[in-house]
Amino acid sequence: MTKNQITIALAGNANVGKSVIFNHFTGMHQHIGNWPGKTVEKAEGTLQFEDYTIDIIDLPGIYSLSTFSLEELITREHIAKEKPDLVINVIDASVLERNLFFTLQLIELETPMIIALNQMDMAKKKGIEINEKKLEETLGIPVIPTVAPTQKGIYDLLQASVDVIEKRVASSSTIRYGEEIEKRIGKLDRSVQRLELSYPSRWVAIKLLEGDEQIEEIIQKKDKEMLSLAKKLRGEIEKIHGHSCSTVVTSERYEVAGCIARDVQQIVPPETPQLRDKIHALTTHRIAGYPVLAATVIFIFFAIFSFGDYTSGLMNDLFFSFKPFFESLFGTGILGKLLWGGVIEGLIGGITIVLPYLFPFYLILHLLEDSGYLSRIAFLMDNLMHKIGLHGKAFIPVMLGFGCNVSACLSCRILETEREKLIATFVVTLVPCAATSVIVLGLVGTYVSFQWALLLYLVNILIILALGRIAFKSLPGEPTGLIMEMHDYRMPHMKTATKQTWFMLKEFVKMAFPIIIAGSLVVKLIEIANLLDPIKNILSPVTVAWLGLPAITGIALIFGVIRKELALIMLATLLGTADFSQFPGFGPIQMIVFTLVAMLYIPCISTIAVLIRELGWRKAWLITIFEVVFAIIMGGLAYRLLILANIWP
Amino acid sequence: MEQPLTKLRPGETAVIISTNSPQNNPHGRHGSNWSTNVGSVKTGRRRNFQKRLEDMGLTPGTRIKVVKSAPFNGPLELQVRGSRLALGRGMAERILVRVER
Repeated sequence: MTKNQITIALAGNANVGKSVIFNHFTGMHQHIGNWPGKTVEKAEGTLQFEDYTIDIIDLPGIYSLSTFSLEELITREHIAKEKPDLVINVIDASVLERNLFFTLQLIELETPMIIALNQMDMAKKKGIEINEKKLEETLGIPVIPTVAPTQKGIYDLLQASVDVIEKRVASSSTIRYGEEIEKRIGKLDRSVQRLELSYPSRWVAIKLLEGDEQIEEIIQKKDKEMLSLAKKLRGEIEKIHGHSCSTVVTSERYEVAGCIARDVQQIVPPETPQLRDKIHALTTHRIAGYPVLAATVIFIFFAIFSFGDYTSGLMNDLFFSFKPFFESLFGTGILGKLLWGGVIEGLIGGITIVLPYLFPFYLILHLLEDSGYLSRIAFLMDNLMHKIGLHGKAFIPVMLGFGCNVSACLSCRILETEREKLIATFVVTLVPCAATSVIVLGLVGTYVSFQWALLLYLVNILIILALGRIAFKSLPGEPTGLIMEMHDYRMPHMKTATKQTWFMLKEFVKMAFPIIIAGSLVVKLIEIANLLDPIKNILSPVTVAWLGLPAITGIALIFGVIRKELALIMLATLLGTADFSQFPGFGPIQMIVFTLVAMLYIPCISTIAVLIRELGWRKAWLITIFEVVFAIIMGGLAYRLLILANIWP
Repeated sequence: MEQPLTKLRPGETAVIISTNSPQNNPHGRHGSNWSTNVGSVKTGRRRNFQKRLEDMGLTPGTRIKVVKSAPFNGPLELQVRGSRLALGRGMAERILVRVER
């Protein structure tokens, strides 16, 4: 029996049930990572079907194949360059017209494809009947009706895929634009053919008429004259229609999609409003929407942090109960200290953050997104988030940041453009997380006053607003307004959510743990090598002269890099007392300055690990270094201001 | 009557006339509400905005219905091509529509 290796890519709009189909296909044989050098998620998996070993790639969920987002670029590059043996276009039967707009663009890429007409059950509930045979005939592409959560049609989908691949037939249909456009596509097409690009020539011709920047760049290198020809033809079309050529092409594409949709579907809307419509009305209501949102946020916080705190404590106790056993093996000498304090404690720190907090967090985020509530939150919060140059979707990461920066940074991937991800991630690292709150409340809240603790939070939020605004103004690229589909509410698919959570965690562990362990090993090495005193002295121009803090705080702040609350715990250890008011030279002013610096100075090592994963080394270090410098400047200013204010003589 | 989409009241339907309204464009070229002047960064950005709107189905000639708007000048909820869209106010201001009454 011969084993044939084939590749199938899943493509389609966001929220059409692509990932559920992907999970049915691949089971536990999947891998979630990033596209090389990109911050876009890439899910791959394999499956055995008949004589075939099939590699499945889940392409990002997008609405078009232009160059608006990285996801769109990645998708079209993958299809045009990697040339998968087949593309399965998953479409939402309940929003046929919009989905077909994307289908038509896939057809233009001239890739072999079939259509999974998914969410047939949802369509039926909305009173939409689709004649799939007619759709198949119109498009000239096999159409398989599916209901992903119940696995209906999944087998047929694979069977049809293999059939199409064995027959090696490319899709036979093309969309015809208006005569005046076709004439000009043809003209360009003939010149493009000579260039022998890896893209289909007709597609390139259409993209040139649309003024696609990336394609123009490619053509620029090969044949400059073609660009002026394209410009001339574009001008002619614009003269005829009175709209830009790209508008005309998009309109006609939608026109075709609309015609096909109207032709193959019959809609008899249900007479009474459905439950999901009522939930939609409630959750987006201009008054009632906000209490519902607040309740949800509070619930999520409690769910994640009560579960996280409880399990984290249990695990901590469990791990530390091994310490005597460990010491009996390796002794308490340098090796023992280094192994336990550097490697094992780093590992414990990592595990007790990752599993208890990230697991419920990922799961809830996934469920929120899949159910459709996330887009409603974005709808309600859009205006507020605009103040820092982000749109509504960024509310979730910022809110989560108050719990844990790690999960918050990871959730920034729900944003669309590279620029938004960067601004949101940066803003999130400035949000005081739960561990930072331990310092704020444990030091200033306890020994100065609760009002001062609140004031510090207020200052922090003002700093976030200001820096967010500056980042928004100064970063290159265009700000994006909110434009998103609010798909119908639906029951999230638990099995898919849990599986994806699991694979995300695995990916995180692989990436972050080496960094976390290396980091804590370095700190431990410094301690063992008796470098604490020299370091204390090296730092003293900053800590003592500029910030007005006792020299020993420099060391505490270094430990805070591993986990923020360690800054306070280490300070207690170093001072030999947990009653900070007894410590000479560490009055209210010093406590406030120390806390302010701790709030801002550096993301913890786990957060840095995520920054590296999400943004790459360069940006991660830029953010880290900026925040260290910024915190020191702010701390020094605060020190001088507080002295001037003369509140505590 | 032609007006920006943001002027519509909830429940009203309208047909899109242009997605590149010059009304809020300080560099607006009067007499023409579209431009192919590549080279200027501003124009490039605006074109990308417009492309995004159109890719989501908001092309000239499309019939849309404003369902509601979020408070504090928040986004609009639109019914477009059988689907439900949330559209930020800044983007909605660029869309010129003719109200159907």
